[in-house]
Amino acid sequence: MRKNICGVVRKELDELMLDEACSSSAAAHLRECAGCREFHQQQTKLRQIVGSLGTVSAPADFDFRLRARLASDSSSVAYLQFARRGFALATVLLVFATGAFLVRNVMDRPASPPEEVVSSSPQPAIPESSKQVEVSGAKEFQGNPGPQPVASKPEKRPQTIRNEQALLAASRTPRRLIAKDSSSTGAEVMRVKEAENAFEAFPLDAALDSFKVSLDDGRGNARTISVPTISFGSQRMLQTSNQLAPKRAW
Amino acid sequence: MTLRKLIRVTTIAGTLLYCAAAVAQTPAPSPKRPAPPVKVGRAGADKLPAAPQVVTIIHRLNALKMFRLLLRSEQYVQSVDALDSVFNLMDDVHTNVIAGLAMDDGTIAAWLPEAEVELGPPDMAPLLPVAPRAPKPPRASRFGVVDVPDITVIGPEGKRLAAKYVGLDVVTGLSILRLVNKNAVQAVALTDEPLHTGATVLLFSPEPVANIPGAQAMLRGNLYARMGAIEGRIRDVMPAPSGGVARFKMSAPKLSRANIGGVAVNEAGETIGIVDGLVEGNEASILPAALIRRAAQRVLEQQASVPRPWLGVKGEAITALNLDQIQNHGWELQRAEALAGKHRGILLTSVAPDSPAAKASLKAGDVILKVDDKEIQTADDFTWWLEQAGPSSLVEFTVARPDQPAEDSLNVRLSGLLYPAVLSFNLRTRFPKTRTSSLMEQGIETIALKPPVATQLGTTAGLLVVYVEPSTAASEAGLQPGDVIQSIDGKPVSAFKPPAQPTSFTFEIFRNKEKLVVVVPAKKN
Repeated sequence: MRKNICGVVRKELDELMLDEACSSSAAAHLRECAGCREFHQQQTKLRQIVGSLGTVSAPADFDFRLRARLASDSSSVAYLQFARRGFALATVLLVFATGAFLVRNVMDRPASPPEEVVSSSPQPAIPESSKQVEVSGAKEFQGNPGPQPVASKPEKRPQTIRNEQALLAASRTPRRLIAKDSSSTGAEVMRVKEAENAFEAFPLDAALDSFKVSLDDGRGNARTISVPTISFGSQRMLQTSNQLAPKRAW
Repeated sequence: MTLRKLIRVTTIAGTLLYCAAAVAQTPAPSPKRPAPPVKVGRAGADKLPAAPQVVTIIHRLNALKMFRLLLRSEQYVQSVDALDSVFNLMDDVHTNVIAGLAMDDGTIAAWLPEAEVELGPPDMAPLLPVAPRAPKPPRASRFGVVDVPDITVIGPEGKRLAAKYVGLDVVTGLSILRLVNKNAVQAVALTDEPLHTGATVLLFSPEPVANIPGAQAMLRGNLYARMGAIEGRIRDVMPAPSGGVARFKMSAPKLSRANIGGVAVNEAGETIGIVDGLVEGNEASILPAALIRRAAQRVLEQQASVPRPWLGVKGEAITALNLDQIQNHGWELQRAEALAGKHRGILLTSVAPDSPAAKASLKAGDVILKVDDKEIQTADDFTWWLEQAGPSSLVEFTVARPDQPAEDSLNVRLSGLLYPAVLSFNLRTRFPKTRTSSLMEQGIETIALKPPVATQLGTTAGLLVVYVEPSTAASEAGLQPGDVIQSIDGKPVSAFKPPAQPTSFTFEIFRNKEKLVVVVPAKKN
């Protein structure tokens, strides 16, 4: 019980300012307790020593340096947080890339060897002349490797025509590379939708109303022609002579 | 790590793995393909350019050109009886939209269906050898520049590209244009690689846009077009008599006349040809790359339209005739059987008067066996070798005749014809020694106006001038398309009879409802 009273009194004494009097209960306790009295005397001496020291003024840039120091402390903390997040993101990306690589390998793995493809998917016979022409084309390529090598084209073929490509490749023995590539490599060709989407739509400032004219052939025969405002391709608006000579006339 | 954090990380990892699987199923860009770094896709999509060499050509015809086209139509047109009340001679009345092929030297080849309207008047004397014409300089008038075809080129990105019309190659039907900035289109080389039956072909041709997602407001009240593509297969490759490919066919499920002029591209994006016609069913005939290049070369060398060679005959291949048909042209049975047994030659069924053939003493019933030592088996062979010789060239024919046992050898100087032979024949027979033919000889094309129509143009009756050939006396005297000729040499046009040897023509014309007099020195024949 006494210890508790000593603690309370010492806390009060510790918070006292210099030359400030303590409470009556604390003073009564000091008269009775020697330990607390000694504590009070030490505290008073310490305060007197500190109070006797002169005033020290802060440098002019103290405030700035203090703020800079505080900011640097906080940025180092932020950097540590960023490094931790970056490391986590890199880990996630690594997982993503690994997953993509594995899935791609699984997707691109040929279902069967090329020989089996040929036997399992009957294709129209290739004319002998066509085969000969292709072989000659292959020879040309071997002698003249250009910037767009012929051997690279089959790589761009879509999966839907891979079987046909495998058949063609199998028929071209000098071009083993083509056969290998076309049967196992990913496809990249223009598809109809992609091709269409590659072009921008543009406005056509065509006439709004069709042009109507009544004509006479000089023999009393009249007719009215309505010319469409717009046509696509060779949708000729009039029955005119063709640009090309009629057949069997030279 | 708390349980919540663990769940969160697991969810994110699972989502990413799912996305990775989706990405892995899409084809990766081939590292071997040198993809040009241009954006041709929509709205920021960076992708491989799909045939950047394909452009769109917009060919506009005003009312005057429409009348020119009517004059060239197979049906006789003598006068205009009535017109819409709202009418302006220079208003666009028709727009044709067709694909064009941009080549790497800035040349564009396109199969314009109405290209003949941009040519001069049909040659009334096509018998003379055709000399290269000098380029026609554009000429200004109150209507603007009247001799420049109204053609707009639209690039793959929808931008307008400046180009000028050079000329028509009549052999192929291709019009040749030149881009002002030859690098405006990223051209892809034409390929002469062997064509294989069954190979995939993409055919690009413009089509109207039904709807553009997210752009309905833009479409309201406007007509839009875009290059469309259909996929087909090569069906038949027809070899040329001199080697190479003459034509090939492609089949596709939705072919129509709108696809004529379309640019055919192989899977690698290289141009393999231009569609120049439809065959029966869903098949199109395609002009191969080598012939496109040659056509462009011909026109660029001349800097003008290049006519087709003209001989002045009609005929049929012996292989397509039976013995009776051969005998009907003066051949005895025994010789007709021998002729048919050889399976070669073209039997001439008619020869045009004053034509190169007539001048070389070719007659109906003659059979042309060889052209410059090249044997002729089919009509296509004959056409091919004449086209290879070209207009104005001298060719040697080996001829069998019904009244002559030995084969004969003839040298023939071919002529050139910008218009189909039938049209020139029609014009000569349609307007022999008339006012029309007399004016056409002066480079003036006209169409008669009935009073109600003439009233709309500020006069009572007359001839509407629809074309004046540049560099002629009429052009230099100031006669312009759109003028209405009210009288010639003081006589109403309806009463005018061309003199045998005119020295000049005095035209009383109406221009902008104002009366003018133009004197044109007559062209000496």
